[in-house]
Amino acid sequence: MTMLEMLKNTENTEARILEAVEKAHEAHEKLNAVVTFIDPAEQIANLDQYKEGAMAGIPIALKDNVNTKGIRTTASSRILDNYVPIYDATIVKKLREAGAVFIAKTSMDELAMGGTNLTAATGPVLNPYDTNCISGGSSGGSAALVAAGVVPMAIGTDTGDSIRKPASFCNIVGFKPTYGRISRYGIIPYSSSLDHVGTFTRTVKDAALSLEVLAGRDDKDMTSSNRPVENYLAMTKGEVAGKKVAVIKNIVDAIDNQETLACLNNVVEGLKAKGAVVDYVEMDQQLLRAVLPTYFLIANCEATANHSNLDGIRFGNRKEADSSEEIMMKTRTEGLGSQARKRFVIGSYGLFAENQERFFRQAQRVRRLICEDVDRVLNEYDVFIAPASAKGATKLNEPAMDQMSDAYLIVENHMALGNFTGYPSITVPMGMTGGMPIGVNLTGRAFEEGELLNIAQAIEDVMNKVGE
Amino acid sequence: MNYDVVIGIEIHCELKTKTKMFSGAPTSFGMKANTCVNEIDLGHPGTMPAVNKQAVRYAIMACTALNMSVDTLVKFDRKNYYYTDLPKGFQITQQFHPIGSEGYLDIETEAGTKRIGIERLHMEEDTAKQFHLDALTLVDYNRAGTPLVEIVSKPDMTSGKEAAAYVSKLRETLFYLGVSDVKMEEGSMRCDVNISLKPAGSPVYGTKVEIKNLNSISNVQKAVDYEIERQSKIYDEGGKIAQETRRFDEATQTTVTMRLKEGSVDYKYFPEPNIFPIQLDPQWVKGIQENLPELPDQRRARYMNEYGLGSYDANVLISNKELSDFYEEVCKVAKDGKIAANWCISELSGALSKRNETLSTMKLTAAHLGALINMILDKEISGKQAKEVFEDVLEGKDPKEVAAAKGMKQVSDTSAILALINQVLDENPQSIEDFKNGKSRAVGFLVGQVMKKSKGQANPAMTNQLLNEELKKR
Amino acid sequence: METIKDKAYFKGLANRLMFDLNDEEATSIVDEFATLCQQLELLEAVDTTGVEPMVYPFETPTVYLRDDEEDHTISQEQAMANATKSLQGHFSVPKVVK
Repeated sequence: MTMLEMLKNTENTEARILEAVEKAHEAHEKLNAVVTFIDPAEQIANLDQYKEGAMAGIPIALKDNVNTKGIRTTASSRILDNYVPIYDATIVKKLREAGAVFIAKTSMDELAMGGTNLTAATGPVLNPYDTNCISGGSSGGSAALVAAGVVPMAIGTDTGDSIRKPASFCNIVGFKPTYGRISRYGIIPYSSSLDHVGTFTRTVKDAALSLEVLAGRDDKDMTSSNRPVENYLAMTKGEVAGKKVAVIKNIVDAIDNQETLACLNNVVEGLKAKGAVVDYVEMDQQLLRAVLPTYFLIANCEATANHSNLDGIRFGNRKEADSSEEIMMKTRTEGLGSQARKRFVIGSYGLFAENQERFFRQAQRVRRLICEDVDRVLNEYDVFIAPASAKGATKLNEPAMDQMSDAYLIVENHMALGNFTGYPSITVPMGMTGGMPIGVNLTGRAFEEGELLNIAQAIEDVMNKVGE
Repeated sequence: MNYDVVIGIEIHCELKTKTKMFSGAPTSFGMKANTCVNEIDLGHPGTMPAVNKQAVRYAIMACTALNMSVDTLVKFDRKNYYYTDLPKGFQITQQFHPIGSEGYLDIETEAGTKRIGIERLHMEEDTAKQFHLDALTLVDYNRAGTPLVEIVSKPDMTSGKEAAAYVSKLRETLFYLGVSDVKMEEGSMRCDVNISLKPAGSPVYGTKVEIKNLNSISNVQKAVDYEIERQSKIYDEGGKIAQETRRFDEATQTTVTMRLKEGSVDYKYFPEPNIFPIQLDPQWVKGIQENLPELPDQRRARYMNEYGLGSYDANVLISNKELSDFYEEVCKVAKDGKIAANWCISELSGALSKRNETLSTMKLTAAHLGALINMILDKEISGKQAKEVFEDVLEGKDPKEVAAAKGMKQVSDTSAILALINQVLDENPQSIEDFKNGKSRAVGFLVGQVMKKSKGQANPAMTNQLLNEELKKR
Repeated sequence: METIKDKAYFKGLANRLMFDLNDEEATSIVDEFATLCQQLELLEAVDTTGVEPMVYPFETPTVYLRDDEEDHTISQEQAMANATKSLQGHFSVPKVVK
């Protein structure tokens, strides 16, 4: 059931929540998607208090980097294995007041640093469509629970494509609105200038409804926006007559998977049939090839500082030693996974005084040029679209791609454009490739979530028609 | 050999805000450990900074008083290092765009007024406090996140005296602004001195030594003087100065090595991504700048011009703001600022130290002291009587009532005094004889007799004058 | 002169970040660094003359400053709740050598 369907049926809310908990346990057995189960008893007892809320009685899951007061929050890192937050993230308060019921904290790549969910302290999350495949990451557990029908909505975070990629792999809607639209206060960060909070849902309308609950200014997050929150659900009509859609040609050109291209073509033809104008638009190839290194540097330079607080002294999984320095050393060595430590080393390398201009600052400059190139497209088009990936979810032990190919650099990393610009971006299912789901990604203009959701709805409608 | 001494000073000053620089937890001094904190001050995962408006206001006030230009686009940066007292593993500071730049402060030296340049003033956050026991270090995060301004001078000072004068002037200025407690002993103001020597006239700077955590102005002077001597001696003997951080050792009155500086530490500064640049409202800034509290220099000039005080008296008052503020209140009532100053500086200060009290603990009111001074000026009571009345005024009593209760009044009526004088002269022919024989002591005796007869109420000056006149007539 | 980016180099960098890399990790980072350098060349090849670094996704300055009013304070018990070692309301570590 979708969230909207659930909201129509206000009876047996308690049974629905308990059923979701049961399903969560079953799904976890199969998919390894949960870090911590939350006993919903207390929330069920309080259901009446929030019964007027926009998400009253809806069971949902939270990525394990969302701080929940009194409930263990690990960000899938050993170093936070015993961390019990003393405060709630702002979105947790908002969701609670809307009546949502939290049933699980979901697995993720350690500290959100990854795109596979293979680096979680609790091990890989498996894809509901094929348990030999990954769920994608970093918000893999949330994606898997929504895809498995456990909850209609789960919170994720997205620094490069950490919501939108797993959504593609798991055949669901993955949405990150504009940077600053949803407060980040209380979200364990990866990279502050790229991090976004967003949602996994099964429908675009559920994404719109969720945004109405989550969005809004928070004085605790100075980067959050003062713009009024709109009635996104009402704007999600699927009416695209006269709307202009750009397909990024460079990305399509670098895909050789014919099934994926056929899926995309379906989308394009469907949109055209609904009266949209669809053009293939070229972006600057050199800049697109530079997206990954730009992302990698900015994200990890910021991350190495963001996680310097993980020293075991005030919180976390402290390892005893003879001096405070050794305690920090041991705590961090044993508590942080290889991948996280290696990324911190690279980030720190990029920040050194002698390197900073050449790497971190250069990445920030290229980020500007890339954003300007995106603006060039969006000045003319309402949204731009491209396949979220060239193919479905990879196998758990699949060898790495050629790291210098366009197929890797461009096709598998282009969604970071939405993080560089901060513009709203959504992935919607568009069919199957090699027996696995694949999604199409749409990115729109800043704070025009309503328009983005409207066009995404049209694609969903096209796909539903294909399904019939 | 002669050396040029080059001294620059960095001051860290805690701002007197109610809450922290980036969190809404209270600032504190001497509170129970870890009770003035929230998740932000402890650097918990997911926390984010929110800039304190009052801290920005105080920084603007300080910039303005120090003649600095204010950057109305406020930006912050991260300074990265690991230490137990630094909860986030980085400090939020203003490395690249300090709020204040290019100012100065004038200090008084033996050679006259000297202008000391100030390079920058920036906002940042304080660290936690550590207590070192035998085997353990205990950490209290109450201080963590307290707003600080760091004020960096240009290397414009050349002696311990100048360094002390600069710190003292800066301290006084910040105190008058009301932006900080500036208590060096309690650490709300901390002073680091950079000092190097070079052969007189040489364009090449010598190796810089930093003396950290000087906790009083006199120690600033002592440490610098000692350091000049130490470095001169080393250079004289052909030695080299190690690039190091030293501290002033109270016991031996010398500076001692804390640690050697091996190259410079790379703090990997970069812009704080969680704080967008903040555009200050120019009207707000202007309002702050135009409504600064009176600064010590301005007050000093006013005391000299308006009340006719000499520079010594003016300085004594200015150097004690509480007394100076009290003096202003006294002057609202008292008709003569100079006499009011005398009373504040000698009688009042003397009484305070004798009683081991402060103005805030005393019952005395400024209005009463003003009234008492006016009673002297109006010749209602004598100066001697006033001192007696003052003892009760210190207890919060009204001087008029005290004088009345004691039956004090000053007789300044010529005929009444003359009557008494003639009575005394009639009674003391021997003294008249003595006077005529040139024994001036006789006058004192006779005045005393008149005063006695008047029960101390005769105006002594008038008595003296009239008595002399009467003696000549006899 | 460029420093040789060998295992020891990266282990040294790691130590400055208060953790160790084991031999296997150091070996893999050396390998990955070679690939990364190739990718970084793509970044360095972009002509950014006259381009300002983009620090934030949106560059319209904010005007918000927090009023200096106490919003929330946590109890000592909450402050210490996640600390493994504490003594008399303080976080405790072996003596910090200055």
